[in-house]
Amino acid sequence: MNKILIIEDDKTLRDELSLLLTNAGYSAEKVTDFSAVDTLIKNTDADLLLLDINLPNSNGEALLQEFRKVKDTPVIMLTSRTGELDEVLSMSYGADDDITKPYNPTILLLRISAVLKRTRKTGQEKVYKGIRINSLKGSLTSETREILLTKNEMLIFQTLLDRPGEIVSRDDLMTVLWDNNEFINDNALSVNISRLRSKLSDLGLPDAIETRKKQGYVLR
Amino acid sequence: MTYASYIKDKYFVLIIRAVAVLTAAVFLVAFRVNAGAVIAMSVIFVIGTLIADIIDYKRKKDFYEPLLCSLRDLDKKYLLSEMLPGPSFLEGKILSDVLLSCSKSMADQVASYRLLNKEFREYIEMWVHEAKLPVATLELICKNSVDFRQDSEDDPSVPKIRNQIKRLDDYIENVLYYARSENAEKDYIIKNISLQKIFGNVAVKNRDALQAEDAEIRASGLDVTVLTDGKWMEFIIGQLMANSLKYMSLERPLVITVTAEKTPEYTVLSYRDNGMGIPEEDLPNIFEKSFTGTNGHKNPGSTGMGLYIVNNLCRRLGHGIKVSSVKDEYTEFRIFFSEDKHLKMS
Repeated sequence: MNKILIIEDDKTLRDELSLLLTNAGYSAEKVTDFSAVDTLIKNTDADLLLLDINLPNSNGEALLQEFRKVKDTPVIMLTSRTGELDEVLSMSYGADDDITKPYNPTILLLRISAVLKRTRKTGQEKVYKGIRINSLKGSLTSETREILLTKNEMLIFQTLLDRPGEIVSRDDLMTVLWDNNEFINDNALSVNISRLRSKLSDLGLPDAIETRKKQGYVLR
Repeated sequence: MTYASYIKDKYFVLIIRAVAVLTAAVFLVAFRVNAGAVIAMSVIFVIGTLIADIIDYKRKKDFYEPLLCSLRDLDKKYLLSEMLPGPSFLEGKILSDVLLSCSKSMADQVASYRLLNKEFREYIEMWVHEAKLPVATLELICKNSVDFRQDSEDDPSVPKIRNQIKRLDDYIENVLYYARSENAEKDYIIKNISLQKIFGNVAVKNRDALQAEDAEIRASGLDVTVLTDGKWMEFIIGQLMANSLKYMSLERPLVITVTAEKTPEYTVLSYRDNGMGIPEEDLPNIFEKSFTGTNGHKNPGSTGMGLYIVNNLCRRLGHGIKVSSVKDEYTEFRIFFSEDKHLKMS
């Protein structure tokens, strides 16, 4: 389980963030005392930092610069300023990504998992029940045959695969697709899912995706 | 200033002089002075005063003529006092002193308002950033409440609340960009940025509203980069999208078609919806401040600010924006991004 350290001075926002991350299956740790935040983050064993750009006594950018001298833990900056300048600056100070308030929570989670995936140097090819998934080629390969998925089907499959056994809502799937510039509507999503199902059953996995009524889908 | 008008202006002086010369002549004649001497004196007097008049006219003309000339040619008339030629006569000196102190005092006044304006703007920006905090928190609370009770996708109030949060956020954003577009401060960064990314961000932000209307988005050819400020451009397209959602046709579902085309001089982004369109007589005015037009009168949410800010921001960024529309058929906005020739050379 990945541990995420939240450095945000607004208490309500911090608590909600922590709740969001916990629900998403991360272990969340909050910084509540900002007097010695610089030494505190240098000693953290978190896998990722969510760092607010505006902090009492110090600012996020300076903090990040200091932090980068000792550690290369991925950092996502939370900016409330809407200026392009912050984005450029925070990237140049070594942030791995940044997201502007108010953020879409699902997109925040996507960014977190993207950054974690990028920094964790694991193999690109995943395996699901004996099927090898090549996301670059967009193919699923079993012992006997290879099936190509469309971009949409691959995005849906990977989202389900990232959260095995969990319910993924249609809304979350939509967010992933739209975030990848596939602006499809509700009907198209149903069509994509049923196509994905039939492709999986061609590979001998007819019931891989289960529908939970009014909640979403689960990959078993 | 002509000599005739100058003389006309001094007619009472001339009358008094003429009366004086005549009276003097009458007296001299009455005292039996030689008629030749009287005529000679009168002529000398008249010529003398005429020469004095001509010299005076010349001095004034030398001062006023260039003054009026610069007043006519000056683009910013209040700078006139800086252009004053040094006057060589009393009235001119008085005038130039008056002008100088007037413009000094006006400059002070303007400076103090500029400062006030700047402070207000800074306050607005700060306020916007503060206001975004609770909005962000509300978003998270909504999301968390859905996650918490797995059945609450069914709860109809959550999407409604999210919808309202989105509206609130849009209004807050509006304030920010309005404050920015009115000011000359250059807090934007122009860089190469992909239209795909900009449009994608806008679409994701408006996804709930678009899906609620079952809108269709046809985006093609957006895989080009343009020189612009990403955040400002997102705001601009966001405004166009908000309008598409606000002024939908009642007869058909919304379709938004977005394409980009590259020409040697421009990259043109075309944004088109199949909404209620804009009546022809309203078209020339839609970028004006507070203009709501026929469509706006039907829609209580129209402020007449959205497109005004859009136009302002486009102007600041150096993009052209054009609109074309047919009532009950479509509205199309085209934004022209110029190609940077310097960049290409390198």
